[in-house]
Amino acid sequence: MTVTEHLAPARAADGGGARAARAARRPARRMWGTAAFHASAGLLSLIWLVPIAVVLITATRSFDDIAANGLGSLPHSFTLGGFRQAWVDGGQQQALINSLIVTVPTVLLSLLLASMAAFALSRYDLPFRRALLLLMLAGNLLPPQILLIPVSKLSEQLGLYDSLYALIGVQIGFGVGFYVFVLHGFMRAIPQEIQQAAVIDGAGPWQIYTRVILPLAKPALAALTSLSFTWIFNDLLWAITVLRTDTKMPITASLLGLQGQYVSQWNVIAAGSVIAAAPTVIVFLRFQRHFVAGLNLGAVK
Amino acid sequence: MNTENFTPPSRRHFLAGAGAVGAAALMSGCVTSSSTGSSSQSSSGSVSLQSNLSSPQAKTAMQDLVAAYDKRGGTKASLNTVASETFRTQLPTYLTSANPPDLLTWYPGSVADGYARKNLLLDVSDIWQTGELAGYSDALKKLCTDSAGAKVFVPASYYWWGLFYKKSNFAKWGVQEPKTWDEFIALCEKLKSKGVTPIGLGAGGGTAWVASAWFDYLNIRINGARYHRELLAGKHSFTDPQVHKVFDKWAEVLPYFDPNGTALAFQDATTAMLNNRTGMMLIGTFFADAAPKDQLDDIDFFQFPIIDPSVPVAEEGPTDGYFASARTRHKAQVKDLMSYLATAEAQEIYLKGSSGTSLPTNPKAKDSGTPLVKKGRALIESAADVTQFFNRDSSDALQPTADNALTKFIAKPKEVTSILTAWQRDAQKIWSQ
Repeated sequence: MTVTEHLAPARAADGGGARAARAARRPARRMWGTAAFHASAGLLSLIWLVPIAVVLITATRSFDDIAANGLGSLPHSFTLGGFRQAWVDGGQQQALINSLIVTVPTVLLSLLLASMAAFALSRYDLPFRRALLLLMLAGNLLPPQILLIPVSKLSEQLGLYDSLYALIGVQIGFGVGFYVFVLHGFMRAIPQEIQQAAVIDGAGPWQIYTRVILPLAKPALAALTSLSFTWIFNDLLWAITVLRTDTKMPITASLLGLQGQYVSQWNVIAAGSVIAAAPTVIVFLRFQRHFVAGLNLGAVK
Repeated sequence: MNTENFTPPSRRHFLAGAGAVGAAALMSGCVTSSSTGSSSQSSSGSVSLQSNLSSPQAKTAMQDLVAAYDKRGGTKASLNTVASETFRTQLPTYLTSANPPDLLTWYPGSVADGYARKNLLLDVSDIWQTGELAGYSDALKKLCTDSAGAKVFVPASYYWWGLFYKKSNFAKWGVQEPKTWDEFIALCEKLKSKGVTPIGLGAGGGTAWVASAWFDYLNIRINGARYHRELLAGKHSFTDPQVHKVFDKWAEVLPYFDPNGTALAFQDATTAMLNNRTGMMLIGTFFADAAPKDQLDDIDFFQFPIIDPSVPVAEEGPTDGYFASARTRHKAQVKDLMSYLATAEAQEIYLKGSSGTSLPTNPKAKDSGTPLVKKGRALIESAADVTQFFNRDSSDALQPTADNALTKFIAKPKEVTSILTAWQRDAQKIWSQ
């Protein structure tokens, strides 16, 4: 900004010849700058992309090729057999369905609950709302690992052990606190006047929630959707804590299952990883605009 | 004074009482939940078999095995395969849960005994009296017996360890399999003079436990299998002069080790050997799964060299098999399935489906019949004693202490005294738990 402001008057004050020379030099310098920028940015993104490329290449190699030439060598074969093995023999088809059965309701339900709680906590002067918020934040600071055994025993006592309901329940329970915290911060920033106008028009709390606050909180909800989808879809810890039957395991657990006791077929594992990563990538691409917008909106306020 | 003395115990008693009431409530909760569980289970009627054989090939072999059992009529079994890493960490949870799997894959020996001492395993001594299990070797019978004298385990297969090499390479370099320690060192020297790294290791990248094979073998060759087991059980100290002798011998061959030994995972070390970069490696037969199929015929092994001829020759032959949960509600059916898994028929079905480098525990069962497997079976059958492996002869908790100590030793062999002191200190913490 400041640079262009400086440039404009300087250029206007310059004489004809000097002006032409400088104008020629400047684009040249700018061109070099752009080139350097693109080169370094390209290099950086290359470093980021190399692991992904390695996984993709490994996924299309045959196991004998990897065993004979090593994981790091150039590919000597091309086959999609790894994908077939992961999908059929490795049981990733069922696992992907399980993952979606868990993830989609969990995201919807926990965002619904969290947005209601955040609405009440941010828009109304409830008693102990500060304490409630702090409690939710404190719950997030607790490492989940120390709750593994209690959760496993509790789900057993409730008769939910080894069912997908248990996993949905656990995921909602552990997610809601954080979502409420984020949504609370976002909803608090919505101007009070909008709500007052709705009240004057005769809207009750439910109408204010569904017709005023929720539409306005859309960017934050979209951002949280993509975040929570990724977290829940990629979770392994809770899945193996409350599930036991292989046909109920989500994709992350089945990916672990592709690893043998001693020897790992890297091509099958790489193919399985590609399959497991696909849904989160799709969700992210779909929501990335909201994701960035949501982060910005939350940050400026 | 009197009241002051009196008050705390009474409060403590109260708390203890409250705790007992709470525990009783919890127990009753367990009982009710388990009784509902049993009714739902008996309606399905099948025995659940929890398996850690999760790699696609082994999983398919297990499915074949269960299908063959189901085809016989009578009791049905349902297989549940869990990722091996998940299984390892969750096994205590499975066994202590109110509604445990009926039958689980795991290891015999001190590992099974640890669970048996907590009354978590079903006593299956009766099925060992009759049928094909009665014909099992005495070594296996001893291995499957817990410290209280009850049989708690049914073995299904085992594999062996040896120094593996490529036949074509040994022919090219003009060297022979060594029998004794001196011949072994001469072989290493010759390979080194030809510009080949003599010994690959593969104790990096998450497979640090592979180095324990060297410790195990040196210890059973120098001090004998009995001392080895006692050492791992905490009856001796890692600072003993006997243990020092093990490391002195190891230091003699350490210069011939691959300098990348603690950087490469064993699967990469296998590739290095197959690509002729290293001459041989001490490894279990499972490594053959990581070799390309067309190279399998070129692979051979020799017995870990004899160091002291007066020590009875023991070999490492880690055994895999099954134990049943003590809380199973299908005792008769589980025993029926376990007896079946011990038959030659069942073990042959599994070996046919799996990669075929392991050996059946049933003396009448046929192995896959390749020269390599025949040689391996002869090796174990000729051994005076069979050890399992470091973690199986001790516990999964002790393994990391060994990984730590051995990795340090390979990097800095001169500091062996301080390494062994630290190892003993770490191990003491595990044993005193």
